[in-house]
Amino acid sequence: MTIISRLMIRLSLVYLLIGLSIGVLLLINKAWLISPLLWFLLPIHIEFMIFGWIIQFTLGVAYWILPRVLETKGRGNVKLAWLMLASVNTGIILVTISGYFPGNNFGFAGRILETLAVLLFIALHWKRVVTYNRS
Amino acid sequence: MPLITRLFIKSGLIFFFISLLIGIAAQIQSLYFPAIIPLFWHTLMVGWITQIIMGVSMWMFPGRKKEESFQNQKWGWITYVFLNTGLALRVIVEPFVNVSGPEFWKMLLVISAVFQFVAVCSYVIEIWPRVMSPKQRIKKKRAAS
Repeated sequence: MTIISRLMIRLSLVYLLIGLSIGVLLLINKAWLISPLLWFLLPIHIEFMIFGWIIQFTLGVAYWILPRVLETKGRGNVKLAWLMLASVNTGIILVTISGYFPGNNFGFAGRILETLAVLLFIALHWKRVVTYNRS
Repeated sequence: MPLITRLFIKSGLIFFFISLLIGIAAQIQSLYFPAIIPLFWHTLMVGWITQIIMGVSMWMFPGRKKEESFQNQKWGWITYVFLNTGLALRVIVEPFVNVSGPEFWKMLLVISAVFQFVAVCSYVIEIWPRVMSPKQRIKKKRAAS
């Protein structure tokens, strides 16, 4: 498992733990009202669980497990892979904080970075979606 | 494929079907019930997607002990039992919970939240050390033999 996959998978596990802890608090808050203010954490729960956990985990595993590029036997441009990792995580953080600072463009910038990460993922993996069977 | 992975995937498929039934119910006014939207999303995202990720990663990530025993797979089994019990409990209980309602349902909802928390913690305990490089894998194999 490459360093990039390891980092993405471990970060996704961290997002899972944080996102789930918020979800647990919200569920308990439904039963025993701790504070109505806890509902302000809902956007963090959603962003961390969908982008931080599920999407980042699948991107990290795909980067590790898909067939390597036939010509070079590698996983493509490593700098682009690092950029993918950085942009998806910066995007998640920007989208998460955007709701708490009204009147900024953090949410927009965050979604742009997440889109960039997906484009980089596609660029890195397009040629890796192949069969080794030449017959 | 180990038994625990098969169970994760098959339970995931059942939750997948349940989530879509809830999704259909949400579109029909006479079948609508309280908390239907969060239940739709959680059966889909936790019951199906998260469960299948957990089951397949326990099977495919490096460092799996080939011998299937409770001792070798204890964190996996704790994850499986607590995740499914916790989520099933939530599906049954959440529609009956409201702030002024009986304490019994509220208690069950809190138990379902705690169960899901335990499940995720045990999954992380199982999978975190298995996120390793080929070098670390060889080192671990040598240390074990």
